[in-house]
Amino acid sequence: MLDRIIKQSDFMSVVRELSRQRRLVGPVAREDRYFYEVVDEPSKLDLSFNYCVYGPRAFLFPPTETLFTFDQRDGHFEAKPVLDNQPLAFVGVHPCDINAIRLLDHVFAEDHRDEHYLTRRENTLIVGIDCLKPCTEGVFCADMHGNEAKDGFDVMLYRLHEDNDEVVFGVVFGSKAGREWMLYSRACRTPTAMDEREFEEYQRMKAAAFPRRLKTQFEELPALLDRSYDSLLWEATARRCYSCGSCNLSCPTCYCFNIYDEVDMSLDSGARKREWDGCQLEGFAEVAGEHNFRPKTASRLRHRIYRKAKWILEQTGIPGCVGCARCDRACTAKINSVEIYNQLAEEV
Amino acid sequence: MKPKIAIFSLTGCEGCSLAILELEDQLLDILGAVEIVNFREGMTERSWDIDIGFVDGAVSTPEDEKEIIRFRESCKTLVAIGSCACLGGINTLKNYQPEDEYRRYVYGDKAIWFPTIAARALSAVVKVDYELPGCPMIKEEFVRFVKCMLTGRPFELPDYAVCVECKKKGNLCLYEKGVICLGPVTRAGCDAICPSFGSKCEGCRGILGHEALCAAGVNLREQYDVSLDDVLADFRLFGAYQEKDLP
Repeated sequence: MLDRIIKQSDFMSVVRELSRQRRLVGPVAREDRYFYEVVDEPSKLDLSFNYCVYGPRAFLFPPTETLFTFDQRDGHFEAKPVLDNQPLAFVGVHPCDINAIRLLDHVFAEDHRDEHYLTRRENTLIVGIDCLKPCTEGVFCADMHGNEAKDGFDVMLYRLHEDNDEVVFGVVFGSKAGREWMLYSRACRTPTAMDEREFEEYQRMKAAAFPRRLKTQFEELPALLDRSYDSLLWEATARRCYSCGSCNLSCPTCYCFNIYDEVDMSLDSGARKREWDGCQLEGFAEVAGEHNFRPKTASRLRHRIYRKAKWILEQTGIPGCVGCARCDRACTAKINSVEIYNQLAEEV
Repeated sequence: MKPKIAIFSLTGCEGCSLAILELEDQLLDILGAVEIVNFREGMTERSWDIDIGFVDGAVSTPEDEKEIIRFRESCKTLVAIGSCACLGGINTLKNYQPEDEYRRYVYGDKAIWFPTIAARALSAVVKVDYELPGCPMIKEEFVRFVKCMLTGRPFELPDYAVCVECKKKGNLCLYEKGVICLGPVTRAGCDAICPSFGSKCEGCRGILGHEALCAAGVNLREQYDVSLDDVLADFRLFGAYQEKDLP
């Protein structure tokens, strides 16, 4: 069910309004690709983008961030948390990345609340834009149920048709904040029965446009991996793996980090920081006493696939992989996760 | 007691010594925490009572060999700085050419006055306690090292690839443009400066480890459509890998 209908030009004027209150982040063209970037001017956003090289996670969970600063110069120790509460809006996020953020939301809120992430997240408005067809070759989002977002956004746009060279969006509200923001514009109108029929047709076209690439159903992947722990595939594929971590660092659902302290030259003050880490890096699973739980490339490679298609799902109920294939595109050794799943499926 | 620091140079451009002077904003703070007692590039006084000695340049002449042994004997802690000191650096390119040829080509008719030997990293001649690789050495890493020494914390180089820093910066991977970059096999710490400006990584911080090297061998033969010799030339440029072939 659609909530509203809006033309692109009217949508851009509400985005302009939004940019007065929030920092805008959205797809920007660079080097024949698209990247999520902060824009000072909404016209720099290109909502017709195919895919962004990286997901928007860096704006919620930065590659490096200061958790707190500390100072003991006056003879007493003082630590001050650093929280970023600048209002932010993502404009133009595909369902895969919305689903990835849903997982981050869960991980950073459960067990141990991560105020650094959650402060940013609570101040972020997400405007999604749905995909009517796969954004590029190689994605397996339909297999991973990543190409549709039922929640996790404030507003979702569906590209229904073009009217005089202008896109007309169907709008679905995902939150009160999204609804209030959109209703601010008088330009959006209530959908008619015809609009609803068009939306139904959109859903039918979409369902037909996404090919399945995995030989195994999403629900069967955990069982497939259960059977594949001792497969020879891990060693065979690991011959090529550099353990460079490109897959982890370009993944929208990877959330692991490392924490370290940096002292100032005075040695009396400094900061505790965290930075992205990745399970493919050799030092990732090294603990005190120099014991490494996964010293071999093959064990790290297997670990990542298990996390993405089995363990995270079993632990959280949320898929650990959204099928965006950024890992496959980023792999400097051309290792392909779809091939891994399909080869495992053939083995058993 | 402030630690007594010395900075020495062997065969190289002395750019790593210069990098220390280029730490303009932090230089006064560093000088407040340490005492520099021997530094050809920066002062005239000389002392041989040294706690930490930093050495740039490779061992490339008989004179270098004598000097590095003297530095080792004079310094409680010896630190190799820059690709030349850590890997041999671009000096090692001469190791692949006939000696009389490169001597004539560099020194002309004065070649007889300049004896030379195959270029080596410091660790090939003396025990080296720490290495701060890079061409030039990474200034921020030098500062981090000094802080570790002052606070008594262990110092470690990043044990992951340049790709990590490159992806953190949100760069478009050069492999996506069909360029074979040494990022996946090269030690990080440079903040991926070359790929960030569109140039492939040439491994100036050295190879991460044998497993990464083996993967490079497999991928170069099976996956990439490039000449193995061209890539080996990149591996050799800074002396990161000097064998004839990849494993």
